[in-house]
Amino acid sequence: MGKEIYMKKTASDRLNIFLFLLPGLILFIGILIAPIFLSGYYSLFNYNAVSGEMSFIGFDNYKEMFSSNAIGFMKALGNSLLLAALSVFLQLPLSLGLALVLGKGIKGERIFLSVYFMPVLISTVVIGQLFLKIYNPSYGILNIVLEKLSIISADNHPIWLGNKNTALIACFIPTLWQYVGYHMLLMYAGVKSVPIELREAAMLDGATSGQVNRYIVLPYIKSIIKISVIFAITGSLKSFDLIYVLTNGGPLHATEVPSTIMIEMLFQRNRYGMGSAIAVMLIALCFVFALIVNKIFREED
Amino acid sequence: MAIGKKKSSSNEFESKVYSKKMTPGKVVIYILLLFWLFINIFPIYWMFTFSLKSNEEIFGANVAGLPNEWLWSNYSRAMNTGSMGVYFLNSVIVAVVTILITLIAALMATYAITRFKWKGSKPMNSFFMLGLTIPIHASIVPIYVILINLKLTNSLTALIVPYSAFSLAMAILICTGFMIEIPYELDESASIDGCNRWGIFFKIICPLMKPAVSTVGIYTFLQCWNELMFANIFNSKEEYKTLPVGIQGLSGAYTTDWGPIGAALAVATFPMLFVYIFLSRRIQDSFIAGAVKG
Amino acid sequence: MKKRLLATVLAAGMVLSCVGCGGATDTASASASASESAAASVEASADAASSEESAPAASGESIDLEMWCIATESDSNRHSYEAAIADVTAAHPEINFTWEAIENQAYKTKIKAAVAADEMPDIFFTWSCAFLGDFVSAGKVYCMDEAYQGFASELPEVMLGNTTYDGKHYGVPLTMNIVGMFANMDLLAQVGYTEVPGTYEDFIACCDALKAAGIIPLGCSGKETWCVTEYLESVIEKSIGADELNDIFLGRATWNNQGVADAVDTFQKLVNDGYFDPEGIALSNDEVKANFMAGKYAFYMNGTWNCADFAANADFGSKVKVAEFPVINADKASLGMLIGGPSDTLAVAASSAHAAEAAQFTFELGKEICHYGYLDGCGLPAWTPYYDTSAINPLTQAVSEICANAKTYVLFGDTAQNADDANTYLSYVDQVYGCAIDGAGFIAGLANDIR
Repeated sequence: MGKEIYMKKTASDRLNIFLFLLPGLILFIGILIAPIFLSGYYSLFNYNAVSGEMSFIGFDNYKEMFSSNAIGFMKALGNSLLLAALSVFLQLPLSLGLALVLGKGIKGERIFLSVYFMPVLISTVVIGQLFLKIYNPSYGILNIVLEKLSIISADNHPIWLGNKNTALIACFIPTLWQYVGYHMLLMYAGVKSVPIELREAAMLDGATSGQVNRYIVLPYIKSIIKISVIFAITGSLKSFDLIYVLTNGGPLHATEVPSTIMIEMLFQRNRYGMGSAIAVMLIALCFVFALIVNKIFREED
Repeated sequence: MAIGKKKSSSNEFESKVYSKKMTPGKVVIYILLLFWLFINIFPIYWMFTFSLKSNEEIFGANVAGLPNEWLWSNYSRAMNTGSMGVYFLNSVIVAVVTILITLIAALMATYAITRFKWKGSKPMNSFFMLGLTIPIHASIVPIYVILINLKLTNSLTALIVPYSAFSLAMAILICTGFMIEIPYELDESASIDGCNRWGIFFKIICPLMKPAVSTVGIYTFLQCWNELMFANIFNSKEEYKTLPVGIQGLSGAYTTDWGPIGAALAVATFPMLFVYIFLSRRIQDSFIAGAVKG
Repeated sequence: MKKRLLATVLAAGMVLSCVGCGGATDTASASASASESAAASVEASADAASSEESAPAASGESIDLEMWCIATESDSNRHSYEAAIADVTAAHPEINFTWEAIENQAYKTKIKAAVAADEMPDIFFTWSCAFLGDFVSAGKVYCMDEAYQGFASELPEVMLGNTTYDGKHYGVPLTMNIVGMFANMDLLAQVGYTEVPGTYEDFIACCDALKAAGIIPLGCSGKETWCVTEYLESVIEKSIGADELNDIFLGRATWNNQGVADAVDTFQKLVNDGYFDPEGIALSNDEVKANFMAGKYAFYMNGTWNCADFAANADFGSKVKVAEFPVINADKASLGMLIGGPSDTLAVAASSAHAAEAAQFTFELGKEICHYGYLDGCGLPAWTPYYDTSAINPLTQAVSEICANAKTYVLFGDTAQNADDANTYLSYVDQVYGCAIDGAGFIAGLANDIR
């Protein structure tokens, strides 16, 4: 942000700065920052949602969160970390591959780009409902195709969302499907911004296109990759919509994530205190991971 | 995070370097690209076809083909249960107003951060950037309690305000990228002409920030078009439901009858896709601008 | 004949108040002279009903009343709500009545939110016992005692057991339902059964025969855990008896009960022996029900509100029978111990601007919903019927006969327990169905996690 200051500071500037910042600050502090502290405060209480009664219980909610088998927070956390790992190591490489291929400029580049980005514009609930139908054990297109290909037999259709071994992966696939295009377009933007001269010079030196990608393009778009990684991880930690539509945490809590547990605490069990404790954990996790990713990318330099 | 200004595509150069002849490697790449294209289109195509079929066709007679009998009645059934029109309109209103609020707040804040000289500008920017990592869902309880106390549940405001707040960080990030490219000399000459800070903001900066509008619009749109949790919990009255909530409810009404569900999904999806087809280049360019400026 | 039958149904209903919710002690003692008074009220109600219509409007001013319920268009109660609302609003031109139906699961969130926000509609649907109890103890529900005076002859006080807290009435019950074992007799006939098996051994033998013949014996939605409880609670009740189970649900006894553990193992054996449709775990109840009606399962245990839908299906209605789940341990349990009771309830918000009028209106509406609901086969009436019931579908009549022989009712576990406990309970039921824990794990976990 190299900027030249063009005017002398005047007394009214202080007021102006304040006024220009005001709408943003009101929104930001009122809706984001203050609620975090309020959540932290609520999390120390046994707070009944219906009666509004609050009694101070210290860190008991946190203790219960980690110890209660019926809540299963650790399991949910593990699930969302697994989703995050899948996003980073499966979804992003796929996006990057597409971005590199398309960014190089091939015939039909724009058509591919447009179609790949299409799922991003579809509402997540629609995608969830659609995949519910795709996965349907008896009539879903997936099992029908697999049966036609003789991969599965007619009388033994897998129940993708009902089997605790496959449910989480089955929930991940629609996310992959929807967001590959999103990350691809981000990275494509980066690839396209690589100065021609750099590429040209490398090519003249006899670099293969793989080497160009490795030594010229990737370092150049590192900051975009970093943003993608942060988005993918925090996105997985806070994933809710798709899981809510597909399994709502089942079967047997196999697809439970912190957000689904939080909603159950808040609106099925009337426990605002415990729900807030989970919210605080979520925020803390998102921050910690953002810091870790930042650090990893910094050390790369 | 600025990556450089160059974003002009370079077709002449590329066509020179990457020859047009088909090598085996290229064929493989094309096959893979076409395969992924198919994966992207097929579910949407399948949704469209089953929205026009009866259960008999979907369940066996004609699984993936075009409908033998085009059952447009599925659409009238979907439209008559619940109120898809209202849901759609609500979603659009929420998206548009959110974009407007976000944009105004972000432009003003960015102006204060990038074009005034004061000690706090960098920390203030970092402060706003915290918003990029805070998960929207984590503040649900306090927001909910506040909305209840203000009697604001069951209104579109209950969604617009939180959505705007959560879109703000990204919007400021994008606006900063655009605004620092506007030459400071413009401000200077305007101020010599007697323009004050507000005049400069409205007469010089805002008109020049037009490209940022569509970029911020797209990112904000993607965020609030999808949101389910807040919309589901804050608003329960039929007349304030948004599309995701409406669809979810509708599919509860037709669990075993696939046609009308497919129709509802299609109604929720295709208007957006049509807009996208006509504006795809523009939408992509704006999205890309966000990535590059950000 | 019909009236006698109904009188006995009601007499059986009396017993449920003994096992009802917390503060319901007052009504319990009333059960002694049950059958006479119930029979008498049948006679009386005809006149009461006719005089009702001519009741003068309270004032010239029109008042607005709003109601929320769960009778969505796909709900089998929809028709009874529509018909009842048409009748009652016609009789009350001074009341400007609006109503809204919300899907079951979403409704639970919505009504709680509205209670917390003091934004309740004047009249709202609720489940009895713990669900309504939370609202009552928060002081958000209007006490119906005064309005009830005018309807006492038509609505036996014992039916209010589940909506009575500290001796005060807070709700208008509509219909009552129990868990029934529905059987597709066509499929049973294929393995040589012309009647629903009457003993547990016979039931198991029947399931084995069905399995051998390639027919799936049991259908159950695993996606909606309450469907699993319909099976599990029946197994537990028929193993340890109604009183013990009820004490556990109401927090008077601990979950740490070897009988429960054994019963859970018995249930799990049904799962492990492959009697349940393995696809059921990923299906919603609507889908499982549709499968049952399509002839995919021999048995389907679920609420008797399904009678209406089954009977209305011309093709399927003639094939299906309903029966009581057989006794597993005759030392502790017996036939006549049922799961269910009056749960569907209408209540009035304390915050309503016209609470008194709303209460009066709610009683009239509840009576009519009960009337039409019973005629439609959506359940048994909590109100004393004043109309010809001979046209009621045979399934619902079979349910009345089961209820006529009822000894005790234990309310559905997720209704009887408070929201937090109920969800902990459901979470463990889920794990039992998925065979992640056994009976010992079930009781140990619940004893530990129920706060």
